[in-house]
Amino acid sequence: MTPEQLNAFVDGELDLAGQLQAERDPALHAPAAQLRELSRLVRSQADYHRAPDALRERLRRCAAAATAPPAAARRRRWSAWQAGGASAFATALLAVGLHLALAPDDGRRLQDEAVASHVRASLSQRSIDVASSDQHTVKPWLSARLDYSPPVQHPQAAGAVLVGGRVDALAGRPVAVLVYRLRQHEVDVFVWPAGDRPPPAVAAAQRGFNLAGSTGDGMAWLAVSDVNAGELSRLVRVLAGTDGAAR
Amino acid sequence: MDDDETRRRFEHVALPHLDAAYNLARWLTRNDQDAQDVVQEACLRAMRYFASFRGDQARPWLLTIVRHTCYAWLRENRPAELVHFDDEAGPPEAAAPPGDEPHEHAVRRADRAQLNQAIAALPIDFREVLVLRELEDLPYRDIARIADIPLGTVMSRLSRARALLRVALQPEARPRTAVLRAVRRGEAP
Repeated sequence: MTPEQLNAFVDGELDLAGQLQAERDPALHAPAAQLRELSRLVRSQADYHRAPDALRERLRRCAAAATAPPAAARRRRWSAWQAGGASAFATALLAVGLHLALAPDDGRRLQDEAVASHVRASLSQRSIDVASSDQHTVKPWLSARLDYSPPVQHPQAAGAVLVGGRVDALAGRPVAVLVYRLRQHEVDVFVWPAGDRPPPAVAAAQRGFNLAGSTGDGMAWLAVSDVNAGELSRLVRVLAGTDGAAR
Repeated sequence: MDDDETRRRFEHVALPHLDAAYNLARWLTRNDQDAQDVVQEACLRAMRYFASFRGDQARPWLLTIVRHTCYAWLRENRPAELVHFDDEAGPPEAAAPPGDEPHEHAVRRADRAQLNQAIAALPIDFREVLVLRELEDLPYRDIARIADIPLGTVMSRLSRARALLRVALQPEARPRTAVLRAVRRGEAP
């Protein structure tokens, strides 16, 4: 086996027959383990450079202002921005903070993204990364992929049945999605630490989908589905533990 | 398309992948300020190219633009860094033999700073496939699309990137950074 093939094997990029054959070859165990160790080292130790908040905010502003302006105009605006100097920078940072905490359209953006995630997941038929109705399977799977541990306490709630989970991005942050089935409808329930960002409006409708939010158990909960608003609100209240009713 | 729609689409499509965009730009330019400039420029381009976006695979799509912008930027500002290596050459001469136990310990002991330094010192062709694979966890076919190279070249570059990294992490090899002979793109080896 060539070094290229060995790397492809370790990356799971050989075809199925090739992967199986390589797994059965005892001569490959040691070199494959070496490569995996190196890969693990890079993944766990190398710097992952996250985008600075100032850049994120600048791009939001640019996006608002720029519909393909000529290059010269763009450069001018950018230098004007830079010329603003330290105080403008500090103001911008403050504005980002306030924006995240207060801006009325922030909740709306969260809703947009949640609906987009729900639609994308249904269209791609990959709405579930871990398929299980067992909360003891879904919870550790999610916890291993997030920097928090989402509560998964109800395999059944308000007539809905847990069918699995996935991780998706909401407002640029990876969050847990619990996937429930309520009759024939799929319900995505996004769960993230309530301290990070409050959940949006309690109930809303968008593009034909209903949304319901709640806060409970230290988490923000946001459910998206095409089931009716009443049932969705009830489900999210049960999950968040803000409904005293029977489960 | 009106401004509001452009903004909304941009925020939906590009901003969730901003960290990936910045990480790639930062590893390619090896400088915070340059990476910010490049990502900003790339995102402005991305907004103009929305028509070419088919609504799927937003991350590879954005990273393709970021990578292209990085190379254009480096060509203009730091052309010396765009030294390419011959993909057809054999594996790096110092690839560790399999089962080399003392070497494995050395790799495990390598600390964060050494590792970051060793990756930063890789020639850009190898650095980019390694970053896309290990830090972005992208499949080979996405890496091929982003780096604009055939799948076979992804395989050979990744294999050589890891071999170079392994060598660079050996204590006795650390002072050496250039293991391969530099060959300008298009030149005979």
